[in-house]
Amino acid sequence: MSNSTKELALKTKSITPKQVGNALLNNALIIIMLLVAAYVAVTQPSFLAPNSLINLLSLTAAYLPVALGIAGCIVLTGTDLSAGRAVGITACVAASLLQATDAANKMWPNIGTLPIPLVILIVVAIGAAIGAFNGFFVAKFKLHPFIVTLATQLILYTILLLYVQQGNNKGMAISGLSAEYRNFVVGNPPLLSFGNIQIPNYVIYAVLLTILMWFIWNKTTFGKNMFALGANEEAARVSGVNVFATTIAVFALAGAMYGWAGFVESARIASNTANTGVNYELDAIAACVIGGVSFVGGIGKISGIVIGVIMLRLIFVALPLVGMDQNLQYAIKGGIILFACALDMRKYLVKK
Amino acid sequence: MKKKLALLLASVMAIGMLAGCGGAPASTASTASTATSGGTSTATSTEGGTATATSDLQVDVFYYDFSDIYISSVRAAMDEQLKAMGIEPKNWDAAGSQPTQTDQVKTAITAGSDLLIVNIVETSTSDPAKDIVEAARAADIPVIFFNREVADNEVINSYEKCAFVGTNAPDAGHMQGEMIGEYLLANYDAVDLNGDGTISYVLFKGQEGNAEAEARTQYAVEDANKLLTEGGKPELAYYDANATTKYLVDTAGKWSAQAANDYMVSLLGSYNEGNNNMVELIICNNDGMAEGAISALQNVGYNNGEGTTIIPVFGVDATDSAKALIKAGNMTGSIKQDAVGMATTINTLVKNVQDGADLMANTDQFVVDSDVDKIRVPYQMYDGTSED
Repeated sequence: MSNSTKELALKTKSITPKQVGNALLNNALIIIMLLVAAYVAVTQPSFLAPNSLINLLSLTAAYLPVALGIAGCIVLTGTDLSAGRAVGITACVAASLLQATDAANKMWPNIGTLPIPLVILIVVAIGAAIGAFNGFFVAKFKLHPFIVTLATQLILYTILLLYVQQGNNKGMAISGLSAEYRNFVVGNPPLLSFGNIQIPNYVIYAVLLTILMWFIWNKTTFGKNMFALGANEEAARVSGVNVFATTIAVFALAGAMYGWAGFVESARIASNTANTGVNYELDAIAACVIGGVSFVGGIGKISGIVIGVIMLRLIFVALPLVGMDQNLQYAIKGGIILFACALDMRKYLVKK
Repeated sequence: MKKKLALLLASVMAIGMLAGCGGAPASTASTASTATSGGTSTATSTEGGTATATSDLQVDVFYYDFSDIYISSVRAAMDEQLKAMGIEPKNWDAAGSQPTQTDQVKTAITAGSDLLIVNIVETSTSDPAKDIVEAARAADIPVIFFNREVADNEVINSYEKCAFVGTNAPDAGHMQGEMIGEYLLANYDAVDLNGDGTISYVLFKGQEGNAEAEARTQYAVEDANKLLTEGGKPELAYYDANATTKYLVDTAGKWSAQAANDYMVSLLGSYNEGNNNMVELIICNNDGMAEGAISALQNVGYNNGEGTTIIPVFGVDATDSAKALIKAGNMTGSIKQDAVGMATTINTLVKNVQDGADLMANTDQFVVDSDVDKIRVPYQMYDGTSED
């Protein structure tokens, strides 16, 4: 890093080397990401084939909603360990309500297949309720979100284990989803199909969701309250922010995102068990911190989260492509998280 | 923000330029593989392991979980054999998650894979397997499923370049039951620690909803009971007469030693020789769980070589570590799922793909189902007297 800093510094005379160094460090992750992408592209040209890029895009879209949700909790200096199980439970509920009428072991044989918009409402509401539950304990009893959501995660797992035993399902995987539902999520809109290159619907939903979240974070009073609360609770309280309501709302919004993620994952994977969604929160939290959403609180950007998710998916896609031993992928992920957080804190310490 | 955007845009353009010249090499590589495969095949067949001629065939192997010990032994055998065939396989770890695996398969296809070998994560439904078959069909590449069975024959039959290599799941349970029954008849009084005439047992199940786990759980006990009844002995009694299910299951579905160990440690608290209700037989769905149970027993002075009381523990897989325990007398028996045989069978099919032959060519020496392209690798019993 230091060598390239010097080289670049020599070329640019108008800016001081220190400024360049800072600019490089502040954008280090994007630079690393581009270097990785370039390296993979050179060693494995198929990485840049349209289908491969669409694949990366689709994977990013699939994991984005959970990260967008959890980011709000991190902005409040919290976290949410229940996200994965919330995805699991909403995925199982969505699947069970949208099984084809002729599915083997149809969980609820008497309801047929419910309308898709109704199921979306149901699972998003379930997700939001789970989030509000978390938020209530955080706001009311001033418990650290780590503890609250650890507890919720365990409680949700029991509910999930019990739920998959209900009806005709008896603990099996919930599958045999209606074609309409699968098409709604993984189908390719005709407008975005170019011969072999097909972009699945959920990519578009993810884009819309990102825009929506950007709007909520940057253009609404709620968003501003969230950042104020995350940066300094006392100051926020004094300046009239309703801490109780804002906390609950942030967690509920996160929960709603998990509900949506569950709805998409259910159709994307087509097989839902009590293990669906497990550990999704860890990837989402990692994506957020890589993308500069700081555990210090009150700091974070939607664009950063998107970059964080892309970064993680890039590791997932690229390492095997260049023949990296799969055993090493976990260590590399860990290294990047550590590096990203250290960079993040460095910025914060400089400010201090 | 603006700076970032500019950087991003510039890089996208750069990548785009590379993409223009990128598409071609991948496709030439795959055609080249069929052209050169004739040469490599003769080299490997004459020299076996020492042949180092390389093949351009891009083989992707998807393992359901690197942490599974039996699967690790298959992986070791696969790596060795494929390398001997001049193929450098790409190994993927789904870490027990079907979403991860589905994503990996799609990624590998876009990276120009020529052959998918899939150890599917989800076994209680064949829908994920169906998705993978569809993806393989769209890319016109063969797909071989192995070990974890795709139950729905239609999925395998729906694509001519699709096959399954595995065992006949119920056989492991039947064989384990037979082994247990015979062992008990030969050593009944020694096993019956409290002398009440019945053998109390516990069974550790690997996963709910997994066809192999279900079959092993059912047949191990049923078949053992059948032999016991024939031999004039009472049937096995579950250690907790009030239990609603006659097994303890790894709720994480990972067949893990840790889960069996946790259960064993806690049940030894109330079921022991002091209370005269010690568990006298332990049946496990796999060797990992057997090892977990044995380590719990060893903590309280059982199954620790000569001079200690041995509670018979039966597993499945005959992994290296289980074999060592069996040789040392601390474990009683296991059912060998032949990892090397599994790899050899899979690689017979890989060879077919390499040579451009039909996927199911040269499989006369194997046991193949009559109505579907499923090759069955037989199980074997493994106990202290077995040759390695």
